[in-house]
Amino acid sequence: MSAGHPAADDRSRGLGTMLHIVVRIQWRSVLIWALALGASMAGTAASVASLYDTAAKIHTYAAAVTTGGALAAINGHVEGIDSLGGVIQDEFGFLIAVLMPLLAISLVARATRGEEEAGRLELLLGGRIARHHPTVAALLVVTATIFATAVLFAVGLAVFGVPPTGAVLYALSLGALGFVFTGLAALLAQLTPHARGIYTWSLIILAGSFALRGIGDVTKTWVTWLSPLGWAEKAAPFGDQRWWALLIPLAAGLTLSIAAARLASRRDLGSALVRGGAGPNRATVRLRSPIGFAAWIHRPAILGWLAGGVMLAGLMGALSHQFLDAMAGNPAVAQAIGIGGGRPVDGLIAATQLYLAVIAAGYLIQGIGTLRTEESNGRLENRLSGTLSRRRWLAAHAVVLLGGLVTIVLGSSLVLGLATALSAGDTADFGPTLTSGLAYLPAELVLGGIALTVYGMRPRLFAIAWASYAAMTFIAFLGSGLKFSQWVLDLSPTTHVGNPPMNAVNTAALIVMSAVTAVLGAVGFITFRRRGVPQS
Amino acid sequence: MTDTIPVIRTQGLTKVFGKVRALDGLDLTVQPGEVHGFLGPNGAGKSTTIRVLLGLMKATSGRAELFGGDPWNDAPRLHRRLAYVAGDVALWPGLTGGQCLDVLGSTHGSVDEQRRADLVEQFQLDPTKRVRDYSKGNRQKVALIAALATDAELLVLDEPTSGLDPLMEHVFQQRIRNRREHGVTVLLSSHIMGEVEALADRVSIIRRGRTVTSGTLADLRRHTRTAVHAVTVAAPGSLTGIQGLADFQYERLNELTDTRFTIDSDHLDAAIGRLHVAGIHTLTVTPPSLGALFLQSYGETLDPKESAGDESLAEVVQ
Repeated sequence: MSAGHPAADDRSRGLGTMLHIVVRIQWRSVLIWALALGASMAGTAASVASLYDTAAKIHTYAAAVTTGGALAAINGHVEGIDSLGGVIQDEFGFLIAVLMPLLAISLVARATRGEEEAGRLELLLGGRIARHHPTVAALLVVTATIFATAVLFAVGLAVFGVPPTGAVLYALSLGALGFVFTGLAALLAQLTPHARGIYTWSLIILAGSFALRGIGDVTKTWVTWLSPLGWAEKAAPFGDQRWWALLIPLAAGLTLSIAAARLASRRDLGSALVRGGAGPNRATVRLRSPIGFAAWIHRPAILGWLAGGVMLAGLMGALSHQFLDAMAGNPAVAQAIGIGGGRPVDGLIAATQLYLAVIAAGYLIQGIGTLRTEESNGRLENRLSGTLSRRRWLAAHAVVLLGGLVTIVLGSSLVLGLATALSAGDTADFGPTLTSGLAYLPAELVLGGIALTVYGMRPRLFAIAWASYAAMTFIAFLGSGLKFSQWVLDLSPTTHVGNPPMNAVNTAALIVMSAVTAVLGAVGFITFRRRGVPQS
Repeated sequence: MTDTIPVIRTQGLTKVFGKVRALDGLDLTVQPGEVHGFLGPNGAGKSTTIRVLLGLMKATSGRAELFGGDPWNDAPRLHRRLAYVAGDVALWPGLTGGQCLDVLGSTHGSVDEQRRADLVEQFQLDPTKRVRDYSKGNRQKVALIAALATDAELLVLDEPTSGLDPLMEHVFQQRIRNRREHGVTVLLSSHIMGEVEALADRVSIIRRGRTVTSGTLADLRRHTRTAVHAVTVAAPGSLTGIQGLADFQYERLNELTDTRFTIDSDHLDAAIGRLHVAGIHTLTVTPPSLGALFLQSYGETLDPKESAGDESLAEVVQ
């Protein structure tokens, strides 16, 4: 078709318009994702560079984390770990393996099925936008975001002394990982009728990739090559530097993207391959009660976060034997995963419980965020137009969220205790595992209290709750490994628990945190009672 | 009737959001047993008034009473006696229509099961479908059925039929009349003039958060003009002399005379008398439509500064 052909001209203009729309809607999220990821990479690089400033220190670290091979299950098997870049890749391995795919999934889901579900796409497709334009535009914008993030990565790494070639290859391998999940999410957007389905399925696939990569790395077999996370790792930016390994994720991402665009141009608007059938025509008695209904609303979140906690606990517990062996062989291993002196098994449980606390707090924030969604979608108005008072409505949700929190904490701790006992062959640590999990409850609840207060006062500012959570996560995951100053560590409530069972629980701090939670909760309840509904 | 407590009464109600005055001294009284039409263009403050009456929002100043009580401080107890259909019907996408009916019903207490079943059938709702697969009209049906199935004394309906087809609109009107026969009071906020005309006993027209006019349809009509179109055998004598007559047009058609004019309701009798004398062949007397009333109540206070409001007005009345 010639360039002057009106149809072709129209078509490219349609895509241009669509690109403009996607950018307009998404630029804030795009900016936040790219800057947050770029900054955490630069921050990690800076910390690692200052901590491991001699070849000898790097060598000690490398020797520690490779002993026994169990750590490879979590951070991956890093080739060329005996270098500054290698240490960064190892330290950042777990976090970025989750965040990079999440960037792709959330941006794509919102721009494609999210818009379609909301009915806005119908409005656009009524204009000169072709059916596949929204998908293509979303793919282009998200790919550009990922590329920009990779550029920030490379620059951040190079600034702190990582050799440029390795920095560029590492950044590109992470970008390629994001690209695979961009294509995957776009394809899933065609197959599932709701944006929620995109999250569910791509996170399941991400968990699968994580498991495959872990198995492959621990057993040192080809299984790693089955996982997108493995492809990024096999590029070996600080080892053999296999540039060709980038081709696998690029080909996979491109194939998925093309499939998504093709499906989008062929299917009916609003249609999906997977669709739910008819349901019950009456509600159960349980669903009719405020608590039962709140439980129905929060059930998916409780189950999802519980699954995450159980998986992590099971993995750490099952590998505890190998960890303990490694630590027995090389004391520096303990240092590498943020465990000081003391009994190694206590240190391992303590480190895992901290991770589980991050999971539990994330659940609380998301759960309270759901209340905001109920309100902004207009459903809260419906709920409160009957005999249900605001206080009872909020109390029902608080009770359910609290029950869910205890379920998640106890469930994960139980699995951690059992798996550790099975792997290490000793049941003595079962009790301390449970109590140390419970000791984190007040710290998790402080985050919940912050979220509830924000919701009660200004639901529009709910991002504050997520920002507090992000800060806590960053400190919990990287704080001890990267040796943050004490005042930074003290910002996170988890720091004040006392790191049980390795160290004694700081009972006074738990009481203070419980009191803070009570005050925050009361403020949340009172302000919610006094403000207008709905506030978006 | 002087000692009955109005179901709804607001006096000088104001509500300010930041710099916007959503309500600016709104007066509204709804008596027990009446269907009260609540009219106004988009953004006039109808939904805000309803939210204040439901205790979802607190009035900045002025008084709002629901069943003689204070909706802000006593919402759950007062809500026992009412059912509400929101303007933008929002339901839980993961529930089926039937489940939503039960969940909504559970917050209202008394649901008449037989009536619920009848309503589901009359509105032709498939209660086993998920809400996310419903069209807008079907979601609206769920909210309507949930409200109509309760034994509430008051129905608060915020533009309840904007997504319904004419058949379902008919069912809706039947059911509202049925509820009124049972003594139920209805506050019906609407854009659809025909619907309000068909159902309402009294009407309040609001604009920019203020009540412009309020009264029975007959009251409102008394202050407006009736259009008359008559074909008479002879030419009607000296019509133009009648007080309150305007827009006079006159035409000779073969042997017949075609006359058109508008006239104040008070002088209609005299005008028709003259036409009768001239020998009526055909006669059409059109009382002012609610749409015309609506436009007129706006026209009286319309000034050039407010031309921005005209667009929504045209939409409303079309």
